Amino acid sequence: MAGRAAESPLVYFHAHDRPGFSDYKTRIRDCGGDRLCGGDWAAGSGGAGASSGGRCGGGSCLAGADFAAADARGDLAGDTLLFYAGRYSGWTLLGWLCKVSANPESCILRSAESFYKRGKTTLVVAKFIPGVNTMGPPLAGSMKMRFSQFLRFDAMGAALYVLAYFTLGYLGHDFLKAISSGFHTAGRAIEEVLLVGAVVYVIYHLWLLRKNRVYRVVPRVQVQELMERLASEEAGRVLVVDVRSHGYYDAETSRIKGSIRIEPNNLEEELKKLPKEKDIYLYCT
Amino acid sequence: MLREKGFNAFIIVGGLAAWRKAGQPLESVPREDLVKLPTFS
Repeated sequence: MAGRAAESPLVYFHAHDRPGFSDYKTRIRDCGGDRLCGGDWAAGSGGAGASSGGRCGGGSCLAGADFAAADARGDLAGDTLLFYAGRYSGWTLLGWLCKVSANPESCILRSAESFYKRGKTTLVVAKFIPGVNTMGPPLAGSMKMRFSQFLRFDAMGAALYVLAYFTLGYLGHDFLKAISSGFHTAGRAIEEVLLVGAVVYVIYHLWLLRKNRVYRVVPRVQVQELMERLASEEAGRVLVVDVRSHGYYDAETSRIKGSIRIEPNNLEEELKKLPKEKDIYLYCT
Repeated sequence: MLREKGFNAFIIVGGLAAWRKAGQPLESVPREDLVKLPTFS
């Protein structure tokens, strides 16, 4: 881009945190004029791109409405992918998203119930709430929301989100240069937070590993060993117990033939059902 | 916890995946045992 626009400083913004878009950077030129400009703009940039739209006097500039519409389309495309990932993976995707939680099972249950109670309109405001913006679409997919319904509410949310940041960016474009250094500082701070988070995550898993070593006093048996016992006269003394929890959300799930289930989150009560005279063989996934 | 409560408990190494890999019999989870999560349908 020649002239004034080419001499303008480049301003970098991180797109909002979302799988598939997290590393995306939107490059915007503050190039003056009365149209919005997106230098290396691409669909899916999210609100950060919209908010950074300055004014533009030519070159590869986009009209404001085009910019907003393409931004919303990018949002919808990403959310649709997450929606179908949630729909076709059942609760597996949610289980994966909840993996960092201390208790993945209760995380899945809480997320689902909370989403259900607050209703479909959650999708309209979800983009403004960190965490919910990632969980909303796969939850909607997992919970069998109709796609047309999801699309309607999510489109409203995307429009609201883009409009809010677009307006904010347009009204505050004079301040963008001033706050750009703030974005750089914030970016560095976020990197540090992520680094600390990663270290905490590793420490947590090391702690779990150490804790599990303590529990290795519980005897472990190989499948073959159990099969031999089941085929022997001692079979009547054997009780195989399924202690999975989240595997029971999917109707197609299977378990060891003849096993019974106990709910690991309600162990105190569940133990009352178990016979003490039998040898109990526990398994999970 | 089971051991603390006096149960003679063992853990199957590899869990369901090892059982399945060994080609041992499986069954569908009974409908009444499924955890019902809310759905919009």
